[in-house]
Formats: sequence, C-alpha cells, structure tokens
Amino acid sequence: MAIDGVSNRTSYIGSTILNMKSQLGELSQQLASGKVSTTYAGQGVNRGLAVGLRAQISAITAYADTATNINTRINVANLSLQGLVDINKQVKTAANGSSMALGTGGQTSGQISAQSAFANAIELLNTRSGDRYLFSGRATDTPPTATSDEILYGSADGTRAGLTQLIAERKSADLGSDGMGRLGVSAAGVSPITIAEDAAPSAFGMKLSAVNSTLTGATVSGPTGSPPELSIDLNGVNPNDGDKLDITFELPDGTHEKLTLTATTKAPPQPGEFLIGADANATSDNLQAALQGGVKTLANTALVAASAVAASNDFFGSPPMRVDTSGGPLASATALVAGTAADTISWYTGEVAQGPTDSARGTAIGRVDQAITVQYGARANEDAFRIQLQNIAVYAAVTTSSSDPYASGQATALSQRVALNLSQQQGVQSIQDIQAEFGGAQTAIKAAGERQAQVQGMTQAMLDSIETVSPEEVSMKLLALQTSLSASYQTTSMLYKLSLTNYM
Amino acid sequence: MSLGQALSTALSGLRTNQAALALVSSNVANAETPGYVRKTLIQTAATTADYGSSVRVAGVNRELDAFVQAQLRTEMSGAAYANIRSTFLNNLQGVYGNPGSTGTLESAFNALTTAIQALSTSPDSQSARIGVVNAAQNIAQQLNQASQGVQALRNAAENGLAESVSTANTAMSQIAAINQKLLSGGQTDASTASLLDQRDQYITQLSQLMDIKVIANEANQVSVFTSSGLQLVGVEAARLSFNPQGTVTPNSLWSADPTQSGLGSVTIDFPQGGRMDLIATNSIRSGAIAGYIELRDKTLVQAQTQLDQLAAQLSSALSDQTVGGTPASTGSGDGFDLDLAGLQNGNVIHVSYKDNVTGATRNLSIVRVDDPSVLPLPNNTTNDPNDEVIGIDFSGGIASVVAQLNGALGGAGLQFSNPAGTTLQVLDDGATNTIDILSASTTKTVTASNSGAAQFSLFTDGGVTAYTGAITGGGSQLTGFAARISIDRSLLSDPGQLVAYGPGTASGDTTRPDFILSQLTTASYYYSPQTGVGTSTSPNRGTLLNYTQQVLSTQGNAAVAAQQLSDGQNVVLNLLQQKMDTTSGINIDNEMAHLLALQNAYSANARVMSVVNDMYKMLMQAV
Repeated sequence: MAIDGVSNRTSYIGSTILNMKSQLGELSQQLASGKVSTTYAGQGVNRGLAVGLRAQISAITAYADTATNINTRINVANLSLQGLVDINKQVKTAANGSSMALGTGGQTSGQISAQSAFANAIELLNTRSGDRYLFSGRATDTPPTATSDEILYGSADGTRAGLTQLIAERKSADLGSDGMGRLGVSAAGVSPITIAEDAAPSAFGMKLSAVNSTLTGATVSGPTGSPPELSIDLNGVNPNDGDKLDITFELPDGTHEKLTLTATTKAPPQPGEFLIGADANATSDNLQAALQGGVKTLANTALVAASAVAASNDFFGSPPMRVDTSGGPLASATALVAGTAADTISWYTGEVAQGPTDSARGTAIGRVDQAITVQYGARANEDAFRIQLQNIAVYAAVTTSSSDPYASGQATALSQRVALNLSQQQGVQSIQDIQAEFGGAQTAIKAAGERQAQVQGMTQAMLDSIETVSPEEVSMKLLALQTSLSASYQTTSMLYKLSLTNYM
Repeated sequence: MSLGQALSTALSGLRTNQAALALVSSNVANAETPGYVRKTLIQTAATTADYGSSVRVAGVNRELDAFVQAQLRTEMSGAAYANIRSTFLNNLQGVYGNPGSTGTLESAFNALTTAIQALSTSPDSQSARIGVVNAAQNIAQQLNQASQGVQALRNAAENGLAESVSTANTAMSQIAAINQKLLSGGQTDASTASLLDQRDQYITQLSQLMDIKVIANEANQVSVFTSSGLQLVGVEAARLSFNPQGTVTPNSLWSADPTQSGLGSVTIDFPQGGRMDLIATNSIRSGAIAGYIELRDKTLVQAQTQLDQLAAQLSSALSDQTVGGTPASTGSGDGFDLDLAGLQNGNVIHVSYKDNVTGATRNLSIVRVDDPSVLPLPNNTTNDPNDEVIGIDFSGGIASVVAQLNGALGGAGLQFSNPAGTTLQVLDDGATNTIDILSASTTKTVTASNSGAAQFSLFTDGGVTAYTGAITGGGSQLTGFAARISIDRSLLSDPGQLVAYGPGTASGDTTRPDFILSQLTTASYYYSPQTGVGTSTSPNRGTLLNYTQQVLSTQGNAAVAAQQLSDGQNVVLNLLQQKMDTTSGINIDNEMAHLLALQNAYSANARVMSVVNDMYKMLMQAV
C-alpha cells in the first residue's frame, strides 16, 4: 500500500498544534518588526487607505525638501538684494556730498568708489545658490551678467564695445563738431537772432523746449519749424536793465536746463548777463554773443553729463542702442541703432522675458503644497536692478580731463544726475519691492510647512494604527498562545502515552 | 467420539484465535498508515457432530462508513482547490512586496513623484535629473519584477497541472488495475480487503485532484466519474494528457483552439476511443486541477492585466498629447480639420456630435490600426465607458481611411474628407441638420523629446519603441506591457530631456517637470474593467495612486478571502476525517483489549486441549 506520509489521525491532531505554532511565529515576527504584517493581505481592510497615507507622507516630505531648498535660495537672494541696497546708499551719498576735485584718473573720489561699487553689484547679481544663478530667470545655469570689466570697457579683444565707448560716441554725437550741442546760433549782426537745431528728427543734442522773455519791446517766437528754431527780435528797442530772456533746453536724459540771460548796464557783464548797448543793434550783438557763450557752456557741462546718462540708459536697454554712424561721422549722426552681439557687449546674459506677461518672479516656481506655489525667480534686467546698475556704471565710467575748463561743471552735473536717479522714484520698481515679494513667498512657505507638519502628525498616527502593532498587545497574545500551546503539547503527549500497551 | 471432537473444536478455536491475532497485529502495525481501514474477523460457529460446534473463520470485515467516505472525498476536492488558491494568492502577495518598505510598487511610485518634485524645484540640477531617471527606472523595474513574479506563479500553475495530470493518470490506471484483480468478486478475504484499501486510497488521491463521483457495485467494482459526468474509470481507465509549455509569458494565454493556445490544455482520451478537451468543456470544477486552471487562466491573468494597465497608464499619461481640431466649414457643413500627422497605431481621433433628433450627445473614438484583420474593434478598446469605438485600418493610405470612415459613419450624417496632405476634415450634414459636431480632437503619442510639447515618452516599450496601445494581429501592446516597460534609453545618456522640451529651453524651465508631476499625482484616468477593478458600465476612474490603492486592496482582499475559505474547508475536512477515524481507524486500546481477550481465549483453548490430552492419557493407562 502506498504510504504517502503520516496518517490522517496524526495530521488532524497535529494540524491544530501546527496552526498554533505558525501563529506563534507570526506573533513573534510582529513583535520583532513592530508591523502587523509583511504583506498587503495581512494589513487588514485598511490596506488601501494605508497606501494613500504613505503617499501623503511621502508627498509632505517632498514638499518639506522643496521648502528647505527654496528658503535657502530666497535667503541667498535676499543677501544679494540687501547688498545692492547698501551699494545704492553708498554711491548716492558719494554722489551727493563728495568733493568735485578730479584725481589723476580724471575722476572724483565718489566716482572711484563707484567703480568698486559697480563690480560689487555685478558680483552680487551673479550670486549662486548651489549651482543655480538666482538672477538669470529660467536660464539658471547661465550667469546673469557679463563681467563688470566687459560692461565698462568692452571685450578684451576690443571687438565689442563697452559702456565707456558708447558714452564717448554719444558725447561726440550730442556735442556736435562745434561743441554747441547740435544747436546753431545766428551770426552777429543778423536780426532777429535765431537758435536752431541742426537736424530733424535727431536723437542727439539739446532740444529747444521753450522761450520766455521780459525784454521790453522784444518779440520772441518758437520753437517752430523743422528743424525747430526760435527767434528773438528786439524790434529796435533797447531792453531795460533787469529784463530777462529764458530759454529752456531739453537734454538727452530727459532733464531740462534753463538758460537765463539778464540785461544789464554794468560792464563787464557777468556770465548769464548781456550788456545793454548804445542802441538796439549793439544790444542784439551783445545778446547774440551771450547766447552763444551760454549755449556752449551748457553743452559742455550739463549736456555732457546728460549724454553720458542717456548713453548708459541706451547701453543697459535691450537691445543696447548706440550711435548710428552709417550715414556719416559721429558728430553729424541723427539716429540710434541697435548694437549687435558682434559689436556691442550685451550686459544681461540671462533669460529674457518671453512677453509682457512673463514676470521675472514667475521664472522660478516652487510647489510647497498640493495647491500652493511660490514664485521666487528674478532677472538682473528688472527695472530695479537695471536703473541702479546703469547709474552706478555711468558714474564709474565717465572720466573728465582735468585740463578741460568745464571739468568741474561736468562733474557736478553728473553727480547731481546720478544722485537723483539713484533715489527712489515714484511708480518705478525698487529693490525693496522685490525684497517684499520674496518675504511674501517665505511667509507662504512657512505657513504651508506648519500646516503640513500637523497633517503629517495626524497621518502618521493613522498609518501607525493600521500598520503597526502595540508590543504590549502582541506580548499578551504571545503569552496566552504560549500557555495554550504548551498545554496542548502536554495533553497530546499524555494522550499518546496513555495506551493500554503500557499496562500489559 | 466426543473427546476427539473436543480436541478438534479446541484446535479450530486456536486457529481462529491465531487468525484474529494476526488481524490485531496487522491493525496495530497499520495504526498510522493512511487509508488503512480497521479489519475485524468474521467468525461463525460451525456445527460438528452431535454436541457442540467448532468455530470457523468466514472472512475479514472492513469497518467502513461509506457515507462518511463519500462526503470526505467531496470535501477533499474542495479543500485541495481552496488550498491551492490560498497558497498561490499568498505567494502573489509576495510579488507586491512588504508594505511600507522599499521594493513595492507604491514606494517606487512615491519615490518617482518625490524625485520629480525635486526636479521641479531644481530643474537645472544634474543630480535632480539623474534622480528622476533612476526613480523612473526603478518603477519600471518594479513593474517588470512584479510581472515576472506573476508569470512565475502562472508557470508554477502550469507545472502543477502537468504533475496533477500525471498523478491522476497513475491513480486512474491503478484503480482500473485493482478493479481487474477484484474481478472474481464477492470475496471477503484479507487480500481483498487490502486491495480495497489500496483502491480507496487511489480514489482519495484522485478526489484531491478533481471533483469525482464513485459508484460501486456488488462485484467489488467501482466506476469513477467526474461530477460533470465523464467516465474516468470503468473496466478500463481513461487517459488524461497535458502538453505543458516551457516558459509562460504574459502573452501566452490559453485558447480553446489548440493552434492559438500558448498554454497546455488537459485532454481526455477515452478507452473506447474519443477525445475531449476538459478545460474547454469546463469539465473539472473542483480539486487541485480546477484550482490550477483558474489561477493560470483567470486570477493571475487578471493580476497581470492590473500591472499592465498601471504601466500603460503611467506611460500614456506622460506621452499622450490631445490636440483639438481647427473649426472648418465647407458649403453649409460645419466641422473641424484634424491633422493626422504623427497619429500612430493605437492612437485615437475623438469626434463628439449631437444627434438633433434625440438630443443625445455621442462620442466616437476612432482608433488607428494597421492590420485589417483585427477589425472590428470591441468597444472596450478604450477605457472610456461613454464612447463608441471604431477601428480604422490606416495601411491603405488617407484615401482609404476617408472611405472607411464615410462607410462607417456616413449614415449618421458625418462626412469625412481629405482636403490636403494629412488633414482629415469632418463635417456635419449642413442644411439637413440632423446632427451638429460639437468637438473633434486627436490624441497622439509624442515620441520626440524636443517637440515643443511638455509630453514625451519617458517610458517606452522595451527601451526604444513608444507605447501607443497598438493593436496588431499578435494582440494588443497592452498585454504584458508591465513586463517590458522601460525608460527611454536615450535618457540615460541625456537626462536633460527631462527639462528641455524644445530647442533652446532654459535649464531652469519647469514646464515639463510640472507637467509630469501633475499627470502623475492629480490627473485622473479611466481603467479597464478587465483589471477586476470597476465594471464596464462604471469603470474605475482616478489618479494613478488611487488605482494602485485599488489594485493592492483588491489583491489583499482576495488573498485573505482565499485563506479564510481554505481554513474553513480544512476545518470541515478535519471533522470528517475525525469521524472517519472513529469508525474506520485503529484504536490501540481497543486492539490491546482485544489482544488480551484473544490471549485468554487462546490459553483457554489450549487448556481444553491439555485437558483432553490428560483424559486420553488416563484412558491409555486404564486400558
């Protein structure tokens, strides 16, 4: 007869004991691992819920990592922003108060300090958090700006122009060949006296804005025509002492300068005065000479400074604009042309906005919760940075020859403009605005993080209730099972021993 | 002479005692032998001469309760079936891993979303990109492994079937052989009893393999039938055969047509000729063989489909781009222009129109296939329950596509045309106004990583081919996709594709990582009811995580239910066995008491003989 193992009787008596033994094994495994089971089946009806809970905890951990990462980046960016604010303050103070004495390099002490300030500002914008450039928009692997040397002085091989070259070019174009700021004053002895721009339309030189006169009997008109011209006719009447002629010019950086000439009987006339002559004709000649001198002075002081500021604004624009020399020499140029990558340094090398709605902040978006994102991107060509950079740069770039009779006037005009432009302007983005936006992002991260910590606690507690066992409970079960198992062993062995065979 | 009679009667007593002793010793020796039924002696008094009677051994009796035995056999098939299912489903739990630890599908999925979250925070970071590649590779491998695990279990079921069939054949031929030996019939001697024991044991063995009915007659012959009525053993045994397949893959499926079947089938050859497929006729309904068949062809196939569906949805979620049609009108017909360039086998054109007669909105899913033999496609080709699927063969070019579409849908009032190039124009019936086209779109699998779309094939079929859900003569690409899913190999050398979705994408651009994250964590999809989750009228719909939850829940439940069923069956079986034991089993105490009685009877008989002997001696001396 085929014998395939122990008989039925042994198996059914043994099977209950085997069952208990396997339960014992299971319990001791539970005790060792602290887990209910090592399979989904063993976890009970809530196994599906446990999968979801684990996913939630995993997601919360991922959000926490993201939050830490973003916080670090915002902190690093904030350091840069604070540095830029400090630099702004420092340059503004220098421009406001320092002496106008020129050093050997043709710069005032304020300008010299602006050079290092500019290099610093560029360095701050090139700050990285880890491998990531924070001010390049989405192009986080590209430095946001060219080096400060390249920006100021052009490429090392000289093929691409930097800011100093553009300032020099624009200066020639704004002053014109005769240094009169592209204005022509009629010759002596011609009546009426006229002042005219040399070309229209023209991007350069001083623009005639308005004329006002209290000269007795005189007629002033203009500016009219193209190119615009204004005329002053004394009509054969000598003005009285103290009568004034005001002419307002608009400079390339958008500022206005007023040239005021006062009629005087005191010889010799001071700057800003003209002598009343024996008759109207003589007076007209005096007025013409004073006008000529006044325009020239204005062109060589305020216009030079304004030209440099305008050149810097053009250079820091996108694309950089420079004087178009395709139609003739610099001094007679009338238009700007976009610099190309081959001939002009492009100061901003990060990602440019894809459109008007593509905000700089939106270039880095961190998800800190299922439905909460924070925006913390930045581009170095945002207005706040650009305005600060272009003004510090122009201050650092302009040099003035100490032999120039107008040197002091130029330096003063430039300092005034730089100081003014570095002050907070109404309606223009400032670095403080960006700091505030970053602060908002950090607040959102913190709030999300706190909420998640709470949720994680609750989720973990629930998950524990599904997948872990309490050691006390398992120990109790083990003890009970052990007792009943040893009792079973005892009884079974007794039952087997208790046979009549032993008593025969 | 009565002294002589007394002597011979005492002798017959001694002989009977010896025979009874022999049975006791055999009972005691076989106390633990499975299938051994307790034997008792049938002894009768025989009249000899005028006074008294001697004792005669009439035969050997088997202490058997036939009713309990029959019940036991039925429960045995049930228990074997439940036990196989429970064992396999518990092993299947091993495929899904230890919850909460690494090496499970959910942990791989969570690791992938975490890695993508990190990539979305630092898209420029090479390590974050490599992290995503590794996590994606990990989940693909996890699916491959789970799939392998499922197939290994199917292979085990296939082997189990082969083994069961050969065991069944041995049992059946043995039963027939013993039937032959017992043919003389009606005897009750010890050897007959022992043959009966043997035959019962073979029948028990057979009952563990399949559900059988046993019919015995007076001539000690049994016939064995399946409970479906097929005769397995009569005078001769039928022969089962099984053609096992060496390797089992997700694509090897059983089919009633032997030329198409990728797996072995159980066939029966009747002794009088004739052949029948037992799986196709569903003749075996319980026992180990039924358990193996169900596991191999249903339960484990479904487990594989669940994995395939997860793999397919994971892949399509990231690669499928749906583009709406551009409105077009010609004459009075209004509709849409659809660009079919890049539409691949398995990709879908959706057209939704309103039937102005009934006011009902109807959604068409026009599926591209390249093999006309697979047409028409069943409606469950797409998982969407609210659409009508129309398969169109694209192998004949666009003109043939237009002709097929007009043939299939022209009656509904839709007009298709090909104005130029790869453009398909679909228009309504204009002035007749029985229908209005509401929308039309195409869903294509994006294969290039720098197409300018956030979609791309992160996961592929085997590392190179894109997963499009293609339907070919060989079956659907879905079948066994979990075993083949792999990340796009080019990602290994260039993880930058995870961020760069077009030429000149900035390295900090989070468009693609954000897309992947939202597709994986928040987007919902339909899942095929063939996965056993959801039904065809209301299929399961949810995020990938929801679906994973459902799958793991369902499988866990199934394993627990199978375990409980098996435990319950074992309890019943134990009870019956106990019952069987009390009637047919050996009780040593009983046997020992019997032994004592026999010993006493023996010495009493011997005593009678010695007394007769003394009396003879006295007689001899007296003479």
